[in-house]
Amino acid sequence: MSYLFNRGIHPKDKKELTADLPFEVMSAPAKVYIPLCQHIGAPAKARVSVGDRVKAGTLIGEATGFISANVHSSVSGTVVAIEQRENAAGRKIDHIVIENDGLYEEEALPPLENPTKMDIFTRCYDAGIVGMGGATFPTHVKIQPNKPIHTLIINGAECEPYITADYRMMLEHPKEIVEGISYIKTVLGAQKVVIGIEDNKPKAIDAMQAAVAGTDITVQKLKTKYPQGGEKQLIHAVTKLKVPWTGLPADVGVIVVNVTTAFVVYEAIKLGKPSYTRFMTVSGKGIKRPANLIVRVGTPFEDVVDYLGHNDYVKAIVGGPMMGLSIANLNPVVAKGNSSLLLLDKSEEREIEPTPCINCGRCAMACPMRLIPMMTDRLILKDKIADSYKYHPQCCIECGCCAYVCPADRPLVQSQRLAKKLIKERMQ
Amino acid sequence: MKLQVSSSPHIGTKLTTQKIMGHVCIALLFPTIAGTVMFGIYSFVVVLVAAASAVLAEFLYNKITRQPLTVNDLSALVTGMILGLNLPPTAPLFVPIVGSFFAIMIVKMLFGGIGRNFANPAATARLFLVLSWTGFMTNYAAPVDYSQGFWKAFVSGFTKEYVTSATPLTALKGASGAVPESINLLDMFLGRIGGSIGEVCAVAIILGFIYLMIFKIIDWKLPVVYIAASAVAALVFYKNGWLFILPTLLSGGLLFAAVYMLTDYSTSPNTTIGRIIFAAGAGFLTVLFRRYSGMVGGVSFAIVLMNLTVPLLDRIIPKPFGYVKPKKEAARG
Ligand code: SF4
Ligand code: SF4
Repeated sequence: MSYLFNRGIHPKDKKELTADLPFEVMSAPAKVYIPLCQHIGAPAKARVSVGDRVKAGTLIGEATGFISANVHSSVSGTVVAIEQRENAAGRKIDHIVIENDGLYEEEALPPLENPTKMDIFTRCYDAGIVGMGGATFPTHVKIQPNKPIHTLIINGAECEPYITADYRMMLEHPKEIVEGISYIKTVLGAQKVVIGIEDNKPKAIDAMQAAVAGTDITVQKLKTKYPQGGEKQLIHAVTKLKVPWTGLPADVGVIVVNVTTAFVVYEAIKLGKPSYTRFMTVSGKGIKRPANLIVRVGTPFEDVVDYLGHNDYVKAIVGGPMMGLSIANLNPVVAKGNSSLLLLDKSEEREIEPTPCINCGRCAMACPMRLIPMMTDRLILKDKIADSYKYHPQCCIECGCCAYVCPADRPLVQSQRLAKKLIKERMQ
Repeated sequence: MKLQVSSSPHIGTKLTTQKIMGHVCIALLFPTIAGTVMFGIYSFVVVLVAAASAVLAEFLYNKITRQPLTVNDLSALVTGMILGLNLPPTAPLFVPIVGSFFAIMIVKMLFGGIGRNFANPAATARLFLVLSWTGFMTNYAAPVDYSQGFWKAFVSGFTKEYVTSATPLTALKGASGAVPESINLLDMFLGRIGGSIGEVCAVAIILGFIYLMIFKIIDWKLPVVYIAASAVAALVFYKNGWLFILPTLLSGGLLFAAVYMLTDYSTSPNTTIGRIIFAAGAGFLTVLFRRYSGMVGGVSFAIVLMNLTVPLLDRIIPKPFGYVKPKKEAARG
């Protein structure tokens, strides 16, 4: 049986471009630029200086504080600079520039056999693991909630159009994912583990089902619908529990971890490999040869695009087309949390020409959080911040369903973001 | 290369306001064609004049207020067609012109244009016309009789050779306990009755409804709840009420309003619960006015009255997903 949350939308999934292409290893460029902040939380502190020699896996940035993550080199070579560059979000942050010596010498952590809870937790911290689904929340923090957890949900929904990285991961490494899951389960002490996969990925469902045979992990088919992979929607679909509007999944005893994160946990524990490669989909009509790539962190997007070739394109997006960031140029680099790079051509991209709201109610009917986006938009335009608060913009998960369906092209998601910001500034 | 940078989402529906209004226009062609067949070519001219005047009115308003042109969103065309279809097939041509200018300039544009007006422009304009030119607005013709020769019948509106006729609504007025003999349900279903141009043929309206549903233009809950509420009200307000359910639903502009007027985006509530209350209220009021007021019809008045409650209904804000009642905050020290 397939499960469903309320509302949401059905965008064309465009996954056929890359769904059947196995992961392919892209060789590293001559220079990599490794950002010291690839996660939510405090940036890591540089631990190397110019001239130092590093190997792939050498710790080059140290977590500062609990909510922060270690950063490792992705190639072997020499540190040639520490410089500020813009990341995909347009923020200037420190990058460690490493000249690749082409030897790919590796420095691994000691592999762990039968790790204890503490071992697993420490390894996630040491290996710099963050949520690979895009949220980039440090995994060692996530698996240490201050509330008891009964259910661990593994997110294999991958509901954003175009992206097939998690899908390929499930086809190619189901056993490893299951092993990674069992470690996370041990740390959390969860009784139940469910892998949620949308029903448009029957092969992934079969592969995972075969891999979990003999364990107490179950695979649950989910209805294909955007945003099925949204944390709150996924939890509702799997457990029928509703995460409180201002709360976190742990408040209802659930933790959600992405499938690729589970794989990275496996690698860190079993092989001692820190998190410095990224499994990503590079797609869109602007890419000549769409592919699923294994890329070393710190590779500029420009090199990725050169590697695959490009056609005319008008927009470059890091992440999915519904929630991803559009970037002004291809200078930013691949970071741990980038599940995809999309180059869209004119036919795929949406031209936005806002016209007056016609009050059709489509946005409200699409919002999975049951908000009324048009009202926030209208009130924010009139600067009525206190009134907009009544429409709960703080609950908006920025999934984009409202703007997707709006025939008047209202900038509804931006309005929600602005309302959140202004409410924070002015009402507190 | 210059790349576009914008906020997510980066993809979206191909549907635009113009396309939505275009679909509504197409759906309005069903009752327009049916009305033309029933009452001859003159009634088509009435609708055409109403539609053209509405577009012209909006164009002039844009020009006078020096605002960007909004006529190409086609919403004025929709308003004009709806108003035209709400007129008797005998209306002199100044009636659609005055009505459309009133609907667009006063009811729609003065209140901020598309999406902002609080009362349905066509319904309000119809009420205004009824009050100003009651005679013209209640001068209903019987469907033309093609047996006297096709052309003669088809142009009879121009030659003023139509036969005036009472509408089923007039016949129903005052009736209770037993349905008057002049009421023939099959004729009402097919449109072989007197009435406004667009409202007579139930079949055409149902086809329009199906069209709008296929293209997901309207929320089915509005017409369905409205019709259900009208049926219940008929059951309650008339003696032997069950006999009156079908005559109530098929007479006057009830079905037409259910599909094309109640579903107007600007003047219906945003939320499901609001829409249900709105449609149920309109259905109840429609039958109430028909049964107990001095007016013959009640549809337009009921709609406009319920339009006025929309700002109130829109204050019902649904609880977001996962809402929990905020606990009383401990007194701050
Ligand atoms: S208001 Fe927020 S949560 Fe609702 S559809 Fe829009 S972006 Fe998604
Ligand atoms: S979908 Fe767009 S036009 Fe329709 S009500 Fe929402 S904001 Fe207005």
